Amino acid sequence: MRKDGRPFRRVLIANRGEIALRVIRACRELGVETVAVYSDADANARHVRAADVAVRIGPPPAAQSYLLVERIMAAARETGAEAIHPGYGFLSERPALAEACNAAGVVFIGPEPATLIGLGDKLNARRAAAAAGVPVVPGTLEPVATDRPDAVEAAVSEADRIGWPVLVKAAAGGGGRGMRLVERAADLPAALAAAAHEALAAFGDGSVYLEHRVDGARHVEVQLLGDAQGTVVALGERDCSIQRRHQKLVEETPAPGFDAARRRALHAFAVAVARAVGLRNAATAEFLVGADGSAWFLEVNARLQVEHGVTELVTGLDLVHEQLWIAAGEPLSGRVLAAAARAAQPGRHAIEVRLSAEDPGRDFAPTPGTIGRWRMPGGPGVRVDDWVEDGTRIGSDYDALLGKLMVVADDRAAALARLRRALHELEVTGIQTTLPFDLWLVDEPHFQAGELSTDFVPRLWDPAPLRAAAAELAAQSAADALAGGEYAPFGGVAPDDAVRQGGGATGWASLGRREAIERWPR
Amino acid sequence: MTAGAKLRTVVDGPQPLVIDVTPRMTAERGRGTVVTRLPARIPGTGEPSRFEAVVAGWRFEVAVEPAARAELRERAARIGGARATSVRRVIHAQIPGRVVSVAVAVGDAVERGQRLLSIEAMKMENAVLAPRAGTIERVGVAAGEDVELGDELAVMA
Repeated sequence: MRKDGRPFRRVLIANRGEIALRVIRACRELGVETVAVYSDADANARHVRAADVAVRIGPPPAAQSYLLVERIMAAARETGAEAIHPGYGFLSERPALAEACNAAGVVFIGPEPATLIGLGDKLNARRAAAAAGVPVVPGTLEPVATDRPDAVEAAVSEADRIGWPVLVKAAAGGGGRGMRLVERAADLPAALAAAAHEALAAFGDGSVYLEHRVDGARHVEVQLLGDAQGTVVALGERDCSIQRRHQKLVEETPAPGFDAARRRALHAFAVAVARAVGLRNAATAEFLVGADGSAWFLEVNARLQVEHGVTELVTGLDLVHEQLWIAAGEPLSGRVLAAAARAAQPGRHAIEVRLSAEDPGRDFAPTPGTIGRWRMPGGPGVRVDDWVEDGTRIGSDYDALLGKLMVVADDRAAALARLRRALHELEVTGIQTTLPFDLWLVDEPHFQAGELSTDFVPRLWDPAPLRAAAAELAAQSAADALAGGEYAPFGGVAPDDAVRQGGGATGWASLGRREAIERWPR
Repeated sequence: MTAGAKLRTVVDGPQPLVIDVTPRMTAERGRGTVVTRLPARIPGTGEPSRFEAVVAGWRFEVAVEPAARAELRERAARIGGARATSVRRVIHAQIPGRVVSVAVAVGDAVERGQRLLSIEAMKMENAVLAPRAGTIERVGVAAGEDVELGDELAVMA
């Protein structure tokens, strides 16, 4: 530790959005100065305003800004940053940034470059896990050849051995890209070729492998922290089964229905994998958990996860604080070790929903636009990590995540009640968000019963009737607002009407409306 | 506007939903309902008022106007397309309210869709437009006057 009791004097955050703001908050609490980087699209974003220093790094496209290692390094050099926090996404798992940091004498807040290189090929992690005695999802441990005619026969016999249906996955993959589900041998050659092509285009590496598709499985991951001295601990698991197209929508901890023994076993698997691949700092080991409770290792993410906040709410830790101390060379803190000792019996329950600019009525298609009104819930046990505000323009250069709503309570039932309460406080106008899905989910009987699986959304989410019922209410509410103005039930017209009217209307009518708006109870 | 008069709503979507509803002054709160007025597309044309309504997280854009006016508008559009323009046309008030401004005088030549005058009702300014091209033969009201539903506003030749 430095003499002044801080992990670093100044840290650069090589990211944007809610995670940049999240890391800045942690730094400020530890007395660490922060450097924000931004593209032109984010010039006035909250993470920029929150930082001590801000550096423009390029135009909106990520490939010309947030993904440029040399721009990030130049910004660190100019501002005298001692360390770089990569957040998640962007450069967080690219060895190039970690290597550039090492070369420049800047601390990379994450694993060693060699670890990132190793984990970049998912087959490495699968082999390491298998060698450490951790069950892996049945499948191949080496890439499947896709470029020779005789290879197809070999692949089919491999699939027969693994068991149908199989997933064709990209070794360098992530986020569902380069992934294909294959039910029958006849479809395998085309799927192999398509996945390899997609993987080559997306990741520059066309290696693919086969994995058995476990039906009705849950996606459960374990939060890990490891220090430079080689100590690794598990800080509880998160159930992330509520997904669509391999993108998480809702996460919770602890995993519903797990007892302490099953939790301990899963945590031990995760720690074994982490040791086998030499993990340091924050990481997550992902598993599939079958209906019978058996767990198979999937992959390791060597970074802070989007959903890290629920673990913080249950453990009482600040994982970003811990990341900073670990990166500064400190051994795992007493706080972390105590939380790890309690991890099998967490005693609280936390749930997160991701609020995204996506239309759940149209297969979660992106909905770029301008936010009108952004009102997040508050009150006991509620945490919101967001980055948008009234008037924020949501473009299509970055992901659709607007914010994360998290709740914590003594048990799952109380957490669900709190989540329902918080969701009903939430108000977003201007763009379609994923909120309708969350409002449905919180009252959905299977979800309430903790019956989770990765096919939950495609199996149970049927938006058409919900949207149709809402449309009738919308018609009625709009009519109420026209007839009653500001005296309509529930105020009819929202106060930021004044903003939304903008130029358009002139004369006394708009003045009258404005006057009415000023009488709005605040 | 008469209390309790039906309002015609058009909810946007792949298949626009058209419903006539009676406005309420008492209602149970719909889940997280937020209504925001949207700016007029073309100010002062008397087009239906537009609202954004977010209900249970679903976002809609809704056009609202008195059902009677919507029907008149539709009829006018049908007739206006078919008839010759030589017939005298009396323009009646389709909403009760106060005349805010009169934009034309006797003898003026007007184009179809041109604003003749504006009536304020329910804190909203509603433009009265020329149903067709023609000449203003008579103006029956002046700014500041109150009008009832059906009052004669102007006559066109």
